[in-house]
Amino acid sequence: MVSVNALALFLMLMMFIGCGNTLNDLNPSGSDKRPAVQSGTDGPAVGQNAPDFTISDTLGTGVTLSSVLTGTAVDGVVLYFTMWCPTCDIHMSNMRSTEIPNFPNVRFFAIDYVSGSVAEARSEELANGYAGSGFTVLADTHQSVLGLYQATMGSTIVIDRSGVVRMNEDYKDGVRLQTVLSGLP
Amino acid sequence: MKLISNRLFAAALFAGAAFLFAPQAWAGSCCGGGGGATLLLPKFYQDMVDVSFDMEQYDGFWNQDGKYTSDPPGSDIRQYRLNIGAARRLASRWQTSIVIPYVWNENKYSGLSSRSDGLGDTTLNLWYEAIDDKSAWKIREFKDLTPSITIGPSLLVPTGISPYDNVNSSFDVTGRGFYRLDGNAVISKTIHPWSASVSLSYGTYVGRSVNEEYGKYVEPYRKNLGDRSSASVSLSYIYYIGSAGSTLTGSGSFSYLHEDDAEINGNRQLLSGFEKNAFGAGIAYSSTDHDWVIRGSWSHAIQRNGWGANFPTTDVYTAGVSYGFR
Repeated sequence: MVSVNALALFLMLMMFIGCGNTLNDLNPSGSDKRPAVQSGTDGPAVGQNAPDFTISDTLGTGVTLSSVLTGTAVDGVVLYFTMWCPTCDIHMSNMRSTEIPNFPNVRFFAIDYVSGSVAEARSEELANGYAGSGFTVLADTHQSVLGLYQATMGSTIVIDRSGVVRMNEDYKDGVRLQTVLSGLP
Repeated sequence: MKLISNRLFAAALFAGAAFLFAPQAWAGSCCGGGGGATLLLPKFYQDMVDVSFDMEQYDGFWNQDGKYTSDPPGSDIRQYRLNIGAARRLASRWQTSIVIPYVWNENKYSGLSSRSDGLGDTTLNLWYEAIDDKSAWKIREFKDLTPSITIGPSLLVPTGISPYDNVNSSFDVTGRGFYRLDGNAVISKTIHPWSASVSLSYGTYVGRSVNEEYGKYVEPYRKNLGDRSSASVSLSYIYYIGSAGSTLTGSGSFSYLHEDDAEINGNRQLLSGFEKNAFGAGIAYSSTDHDWVIRGSWSHAIQRNGWGANFPTTDVYTAGVSYGFR
């Protein structure tokens, strides 16, 4: 019996020692901890100037963020980071049916950060049914854009036409995205 | 004679329990998880320790319409889990247990690879043995068909790494980030050499505030995951090896899992729920004194349209060993 008691104690200890990174789950906080951001600086946080980048789309054409934003009739840009997973598919499918038709002056980019080449990214775009969907799929083969925006699966970034980040968070149900897009200047 | 009979009966339950409560793999580095497990102590045992190791191999997913979709070519996505558990009898019909998984994620795509590890979500259980199996050997009258019924709550504690912790990537996730309270029932009937079991569970998550996503503070919101229901049926055959009493038990099972859509700030998050159906098979060896059980099992999600929705299709291979203290 002593050994079982010892094991139970060990398990409890392990549970609490291991919880150093999970205290936010054990005792969630609802306080707003977003740091103040100095406008005019470059970075991925809301209010900062969006870092510029140039990467290839799945047809091999280079796409530069700053050039897209200065195009005619562009109110802003949405970057959505996908690894072609079920959650990504739901988010993209929802965007295709709701946000893309309702915001024709916003350019929607799906950024594939897991494919190792433009050809593979194109293959995934086709296999998952997103060719001609309203998304332009970009191949972030070296995760450079992923790093610039500190993004991960489902990260959704909205950039207005002046190049300022208006949203950088998980897509969730799309409500927040619609609110932000509706408020674009 | 009665003692021997009791011990054989216990051994059968022990072996059955090993299959019934093999860790269920609802994990996924893309979708949260970290495993969960339940230990059920056989009759006549005071304590039990259990160690098992899972290897979960991801191979595609069902999308929201139930269509099976392959993973990107060149991808190799795996999760390994070491589950350590202990069970204790509190009274003649009451028992409790705890299972803690440690999780390793390995994600390889053609363009990147990632490795991470951490604790998974912890499961605490309380069980009440409401009805005993009246006769595991011979059916003489109708009441001999009475199955054993064990019921009890369990609590999933979010000790794993969730998307709402200070992590950089979805690849680092080992837990869901929510407490969940489940009501569980296990109905089991043995008529040697056969044993059949049905396991039912219904769980509800505890809503929480979220102010951080993957290490980035966001505008706070309230989130709750949808209720979860699961069921599994299994059929086992117990084979006695020689005359010393050690047994080999083969088992087949089918399991079903469904989770409703989540809610954000009270609004339903469309299509965030999921469903999974899987078949399983396993084998367990029980030592002559029936204190040791060594087991191996395989769970397979059908990679065809309509067998699930919004969930990865995986194969889970498990090897485990348990020791019971009388």
